[in-house]
Amino acid sequence: MRKRTLARGLAGIWWVTLFFLYAPLFVIVLFSFNSANSTAIFENFSLAWYRRLFGNEQIINAFGNSLVLAVSSSIIALVIGCLIGYGMYRHRHRKLGWLIVLIYLPIVLPDIVFGISEMAFFVQIHEWTGLLQPGLGTMIIAHVTFQIPFVALIVYSRFVGLDPTLFEAAKDLYASPIKRVVHFMVPTIKPALISAFFLSFTLSIDDFVISFFTAGPESATLPIYIWSAIKKGVTPEINAIATLMIGAVAMAAIFSMLFNRRGRR
Amino acid sequence: MSETMTAETADHPGARPAANARGRANHKASSIEMQGLHKRFGRDTVALDGVDLNIRAGEFFTLLGPSGCGKTTLLRILAGLEEPDAGSLVVGGKDITETPPHQRSVNTVFQSYALFPHLSVRENLAFGLKMRGMPAAERHSKVDEIADFIKLGDLIDRHVDQLSGGQRQRIALARALICEPDVLLLDEPLSALDAGLRSQLQVELLRVQKRLGMTFVFVTHDQQEAMVMSDRIAVLNGGTIQQVGAPRDVYERPVNAFVAHFMGHDNLYPISARKSDRLITALGELTAEEAGDGELLLIRPETLDLLPGAVEGPNHLTATVAERLYRGSHAEFRLAIADTTLQATVNNRGRHLPEVGETVTVVVAPEDLVTLSE
Repeated sequence: MRKRTLARGLAGIWWVTLFFLYAPLFVIVLFSFNSANSTAIFENFSLAWYRRLFGNEQIINAFGNSLVLAVSSSIIALVIGCLIGYGMYRHRHRKLGWLIVLIYLPIVLPDIVFGISEMAFFVQIHEWTGLLQPGLGTMIIAHVTFQIPFVALIVYSRFVGLDPTLFEAAKDLYASPIKRVVHFMVPTIKPALISAFFLSFTLSIDDFVISFFTAGPESATLPIYIWSAIKKGVTPEINAIATLMIGAVAMAAIFSMLFNRRGRR
Repeated sequence: MSETMTAETADHPGARPAANARGRANHKASSIEMQGLHKRFGRDTVALDGVDLNIRAGEFFTLLGPSGCGKTTLLRILAGLEEPDAGSLVVGGKDITETPPHQRSVNTVFQSYALFPHLSVRENLAFGLKMRGMPAAERHSKVDEIADFIKLGDLIDRHVDQLSGGQRQRIALARALICEPDVLLLDEPLSALDAGLRSQLQVELLRVQKRLGMTFVFVTHDQQEAMVMSDRIAVLNGGTIQQVGAPRDVYERPVNAFVAHFMGHDNLYPISARKSDRLITALGELTAEEAGDGELLLIRPETLDLLPGAVEGPNHLTATVAERLYRGSHAEFRLAIADTTLQATVNNRGRHLPEVGETVTVVVAPEDLVTLSE
């Protein structure tokens, strides 16, 4: 009897958690299809807000910026993070633990601290050299910096999961160093690479704080646009943008999970 | 399932002559000469302490020893996965001491098999040929040929995940053989398998080696396995070679106490005095023929005869049965003689097997006695 009560209580917590997690998202999605300009009363189903959204040049620009930022930073982070992940694997038996802590710092550091320091840093460099004017370039650098530890971690854990003799088998079977990379390492960790790419992509699309502090006047991303638009009140247009972003991020997350799972098998 | 099938076909090596004949006989075998090989890990761990060893072309050669004796390090130096601190390595007349592994015509069957998880069985088999730049069509026919030779059957179309231990072992063997190396290295390839499958694959491996005439260097810590498989055995301990010889030499005439113990011998007695061919030990006085001049006497348990009761005679020792282990085909006895004990193994021919506490006479044949050094 008591056992059953406990089980029910635990199940209750589960459902309440799900409710608070997904109900707000559901409301946003629902009201993005509202014909009325209201976030309280749903009148009729309509795609009017989506039509307006695609007619708004600012939004299209912001969307383009978000996409360029996410794709380019993810690719750069993938290459660098992959090299670092492999390096961590190669030197895992040496006393390099403190280096690994350095790489993990951005994961635990509050975004606001990270964002402000990046901004101050870029301003300093710009003062001294005239380079790194705030804009898409500085944003890409900032995003790559916080994406790298995630990529490195995924790649490292994939390598650690492999039988170390595989590296020797590749050598033994006539693979030169370059061929080992092309025909053994990259194909073996491919699922992890794809997974890491999609995770980086989601992190970048998601990010507001760091983007906000490193952006220039021309490089507002979708989250930045939403933040500035929302000061005039939440419109169903914002709901429509949010709905599209939910869809995009959910897809990236699902891809990331699928590929990672396939790699583990 | 297919393991049992191979067992049946393997009993008839002539059943598939096409596979045997096709371009296999003309494979050139290579000899190996190792000189003064030293290897140290870190500051204190000496893995190899001056190894000189010659392996003949086409030989099934086994490196035998306990873990940490240096046998795996020696194999890894042959493969090029480890570099010796000193010494030279010549294979087929060519010095390859400094040659990186991917440029050596040497292939390895790893203990963990090391099959590539991202590739199918077929792609695993073709990997070495692909890395050497063989065109796809030629690779394909080579893979079919080796699959036929090792009798892989439908395993070839499976994924690596779907294979059992024994199947992986055979794929790993095929993947190494397909490259037709000068030397094939095997690092305890059977140690992960259960006893039945293990002895079946021992026979299969031996047949493959004999048919190809390729030089095999095999590493194991199992002296039974070494004796079954090898043309010659090198026993290693502490990074040095203790003895090199045919299985019978090493088992019947071990050169020192370590080799004797490692080959499974327990009946070792210090010789306290010698009068020409008469040796005094804790057992009493025994006459030996051509025993050599070592300071330890070795008596192999299976050379002894037991007679019931106390019988006087030359090389007859009176003993009491302290322990009897009945093993069906034979029985093992621990016999108390004077202040020491002696192990004896007696074949079960249906005759009387002495009971514990019974007095027996041990008959020692002079020609079976061997002496060795510490």
